[in-house]
Amino acid sequence: MIPTHWFLILSAVLFAIGVCGVLTRKNGITIFMSIELMVNAVNLTFVAYARQFHQLHGIIFVFFIMAIAAAEAAVGLAIFISLFHHRETIDVDEANLMRW
Amino acid sequence: MIEFIVFFAFAAVAIIFALVVILHRNPVVSVLSLVASFFSLAVMYVLLEAPFLAVLQVIIYAGAIMVLFLFVIMLLNLQHREEPATRPVQQFLGYTGAAVFGIALVYYIAKYAVLKLPGTPFLSDARRVGISLFQAYVLPFEAVSILLLAAIVGALVLSGRGAVAQ
Amino acid sequence: MTDWTDVGLSVLKIVIVLLFVLNVTPIMVWVERRGSALIQDRPGPNRVGPFGLFQSFADALKFFMKEDVIPAQANRWLYILAPAFGLLPAMTTIAVVPWGRAFRLPSGRLFEPIIADVNVGILVIFALASLSVYGVTMAGWSSANKYSLFGGIRASAQMISYELSLTLAAVSALMVAGSLRLTDVVWRQTGYFVLFDRLKIPAWNAFSPAMWLSFIVFSVSAFAETNRLPFDFAEAEAELVAGYHTEYSSMKFALFFMAEYMSMATMSAVITTLFLGGWDVPWYNEPPTAFGFAVSVLAFLIKVSFLLFVFVWVRWTIPRLKYDLLMKLGWKVFLPLAVVNIMLVAFFIVRGWI
Repeated sequence: MIPTHWFLILSAVLFAIGVCGVLTRKNGITIFMSIELMVNAVNLTFVAYARQFHQLHGIIFVFFIMAIAAAEAAVGLAIFISLFHHRETIDVDEANLMRW
Repeated sequence: MIEFIVFFAFAAVAIIFALVVILHRNPVVSVLSLVASFFSLAVMYVLLEAPFLAVLQVIIYAGAIMVLFLFVIMLLNLQHREEPATRPVQQFLGYTGAAVFGIALVYYIAKYAVLKLPGTPFLSDARRVGISLFQAYVLPFEAVSILLLAAIVGALVLSGRGAVAQ
Repeated sequence: MTDWTDVGLSVLKIVIVLLFVLNVTPIMVWVERRGSALIQDRPGPNRVGPFGLFQSFADALKFFMKEDVIPAQANRWLYILAPAFGLLPAMTTIAVVPWGRAFRLPSGRLFEPIIADVNVGILVIFALASLSVYGVTMAGWSSANKYSLFGGIRASAQMISYELSLTLAAVSALMVAGSLRLTDVVWRQTGYFVLFDRLKIPAWNAFSPAMWLSFIVFSVSAFAETNRLPFDFAEAEAELVAGYHTEYSSMKFALFFMAEYMSMATMSAVITTLFLGGWDVPWYNEPPTAFGFAVSVLAFLIKVSFLLFVFVWVRWTIPRLKYDLLMKLGWKVFLPLAVVNIMLVAFFIVRGWI
């Protein structure tokens, strides 16, 4: 059996990579993908602790997180599409006015 | 023994493809690398004795959400967008900040979060998850279904199709 | 301590299943061409060998000899990877399908003819079916050709729409079996329905009064998933040149070709397991010996071959649906039917009739 803290370290590394992606990229969809990467790193932490303490709650919570991430992806991409239709760009630096 | 080999191999795959996601120019390559990363995370879930969740990860994340991302990128024809390198100071700060954050997290986890492994195996099959969902977690379950309905309606309205009713 | 007999038996099972999956394509090419000729009242290929049996070799030779062209503006890596995306789900899904009855070897060990008897068997099939969308999408997009892109997007939209009715139609078979393992689903179908105290019908899910509807929904959705007529917008021979594999030539096209026939065979195997009783021989109780195993494998192969012949038969009989009618069918007819069927099966289970 693999020690739990190895999974936690992997999850921390993936989370840090996701944070790096959010902070440094300008393409809105890539930022969104980095957010999904962070969410998955957190999922891995939940499942690692569920296995460690033999609790089903971690698994159930990941189930709900997956459903919420699906809903968030759908709505977020719809927002990007309408941003693209108005501004012809998905560079997040260009979306800097509260209304136009 | 073979568990460790599988763990290291797929952990390496996950990390390498995650780096490709954030570093590559072309968004389509980023999406496919993220799919590969999710697949290796599904293998991690199998190693953590949660095979039901592993298959759900492949079905939902790699099979549905990433297809959505791919469709949006293809339909908006975004693959040729070049990102000119502006804001070099912020980019440098972003990289170093994330690196420091990651290294600090890994260091403290390796030092303080070492736990003893439980002796018995963990049973998390579909039957138990289903029973738990419908007994202890029935309220969040129903709320998530309403949330998904709201997401569908929101996506339709935002993309302009919801107005085509006349 | 590794159990080397176990490893050896697993390797043997993998070799047998790979032999089946890789040989399906040449045989199906012959069946398709002779079968279509039979339906269309023409001879079909009959020059190469007796009854044209060596036509597949001639086709393979042609694929090897043709020039392998990559369009100049295509995204090179994705163009080369796309056939692999299409092939991998088709070849790996059959790992969780039981193809024979478990029997005892002379040494007392139980030989289970299924490569991976996981607890979540059916979900693995759905997971790999949803991964097959990537092959079509990447092929259409990386070809740098408008017609390929249209074909790829239409085909992938169709595939993800029919995945829903596929999944929900399979859930009714799983509710009755009470488990996600495919071996349990097949064991559940080895009984009998007794009608009028005299007539024994094998308890296959297709004959069950609650599940015949989901059998039909699942089979039609399987046609849509594998991009076969009447749902073959990926190819659409008269409309889009050749759809998403327009720009592919020689070996890469051969890989797509193989992937289509392999996914047909895999889907037939899954339909057989879920609804037609898998390896169960009707009206015969197979003993757990090598003879029973051989008989059950033969029964499985006969059922899969029959379903493959139905795939070919439907292709040359029914015309192609218009795209918006196809999507309407998937979302407005099959999805509600599958959901209604789940409620019906739940009702039957609660009342104790199943």
